[in-house]
Amino acid sequence: MTTFVAHLDADCYYVSAERVRHPDLTDKPVGVLGNNGACVIAKSYEMKAHGVKTGTPIWDAAKLCPHGVYVKRDFYWYEVLSRKMLGIVGTFSPRVEYYSVDEFFFEAIPTSHRTDLPGTATKIRDYIREAAGLPVTIGVARTRTLAKLFSDTGKPFGAVAVLTRDHERELLAKMPVTEISGIGGKRADRLAPYGIRTCLDLADADGRLVNKLLTKTGYEIWLELNGTPVMPIRPERPPHQVLARGGSLMGNVDDPKLLWAWCVRHVERLIEELRYHNVRTTTLAIQLDWKDGTGTGGTTSMPVPTDRFDDLLDAARTSLRRAYIPGATATHMHVMATELRRAKGFQLSLFDAPDPKKEKLAATKHAINEKFGRFKVRSAATLYLPAVYRDPANDFDICDIRGKVCF
Amino acid sequence: MCTAVALPTSELPDIVVEQLIDRVHTRGGEREVRFDWRSVPALLPVWWNGRLQVVKWGNRDRSERKLPPTGWTWRETVEKGKWSAIEPEPVEVPAAYVMTNGVWFRVKQGVRGLLVRTRTGEPVVYLICEPSTRYYRVMTRATWMPVLIDEVI
Ligand SMILES: [Mg+2]
Repeated sequence: MTTFVAHLDADCYYVSAERVRHPDLTDKPVGVLGNNGACVIAKSYEMKAHGVKTGTPIWDAAKLCPHGVYVKRDFYWYEVLSRKMLGIVGTFSPRVEYYSVDEFFFEAIPTSHRTDLPGTATKIRDYIREAAGLPVTIGVARTRTLAKLFSDTGKPFGAVAVLTRDHERELLAKMPVTEISGIGGKRADRLAPYGIRTCLDLADADGRLVNKLLTKTGYEIWLELNGTPVMPIRPERPPHQVLARGGSLMGNVDDPKLLWAWCVRHVERLIEELRYHNVRTTTLAIQLDWKDGTGTGGTTSMPVPTDRFDDLLDAARTSLRRAYIPGATATHMHVMATELRRAKGFQLSLFDAPDPKKEKLAATKHAINEKFGRFKVRSAATLYLPAVYRDPANDFDICDIRGKVCF
Repeated sequence: MCTAVALPTSELPDIVVEQLIDRVHTRGGEREVRFDWRSVPALLPVWWNGRLQVVKWGNRDRSERKLPPTGWTWRETVEKGKWSAIEPEPVEVPAAYVMTNGVWFRVKQGVRGLLVRTRTGEPVVYLICEPSTRYYRVMTRATWMPVLIDEVI
């Protein structure tokens, strides 16, 4: 029996999430502003119609769409709603992959023996609208690549199930090959001389040619376009290569004490992220951007993968010393974990006995932060940062939503 | 500096909407009254004496010699008691959207204002401002921001 894959993508997610709690924004041109308030990171269809794009500076957007309404991003809320949506999808499918904050892949299973897959897609879409207040588009097809293509072109508020080869071919013939994520201008240029312009052209091309022109990744896309699943649904995401926290220092910093306070804060945030992804790291790198446009970095390795505050702080101290230029003025700092391991089943180094006392302290700290909000328990070193912690404009964070790029 | 606030017509008494009909605009299918500093006369909605009323915004036309010829006052000035001689009343200016330098942004409830009387007893409202947060400054390029009710942008 063929199994079908569904791709769910929330329509203009950040805007839709704002409309869930502020219904007056419905039908209005709405732009969500990024971390600094400088750029539009998400826009409603009404605002898009005026030519505002993701990344458009607010000044240009206000000219293009003078009646547009702007709201400040609230990544915490977007994450909360995303989890809610994930929970709902989980009631319709045993296998759900959390691909990004507003995109999931899942195994499409008819909701009952009387409901077909198109009916199921519609039902899930309508249910999410009803229960979470979010408009989404769902595409169902034989492979991930096909499902994503059909949902991308079914927006907004679409529910498309493409179950036969004829139906696939009919739709693929209408889509330029650039609709496939990963096939941008350069790769499309390579295909054009062979008359490959639509997705159907690509599907019908010789697989060996595709392999030659677009390498293995392109070949896998080709297989998927032809209905052979290559990329499975991964209910658990593979560990990231790198996790990083940081950003602007909100002004110029030359006081090493303040620099250290920022560093501690980013380490705390990085630990949250490591815990969230259930990974540990063996390296801690610090990157500093200086006012004169240059950058420096320092890296420290640890013998055992860790997510413990004391270990990471020791490493951070060394890394910061390596990156630090006395007397210079820093503008940005990033703290990065660059060698990640799954938290369970990692190898203990022979010489490093685990320290149950410290593990326990770290776990307690984590538990308190979970329960009472971020940074309720934090290192005394960050007391040099009262402006940041107390600034009510920053009560959720500088820049971090998982799986999304921020401005 | 915030130079206009907008409130859906559904939140204003019908009779008020009728009187302000030339200030009614439509945004995304919803009708709203825009209270613009540049309108003549400049007006603002305020919750005052338990009712939503529309009163004069500031003293741009300098019709009152004793009041500053602007539409804003600073939180610091208010807190230092510099207005106390003329018995000011803190009021709430309800708004859904506020505009600064051409950028409209959504607010939860509205803006804080200070209501004073003219010599003849007519109410006049000033919007209260404070230094911009970094975010607000980047968003609007304004160094001062209105004091919002129960929120900070
Ligand atoms: Mg989306």
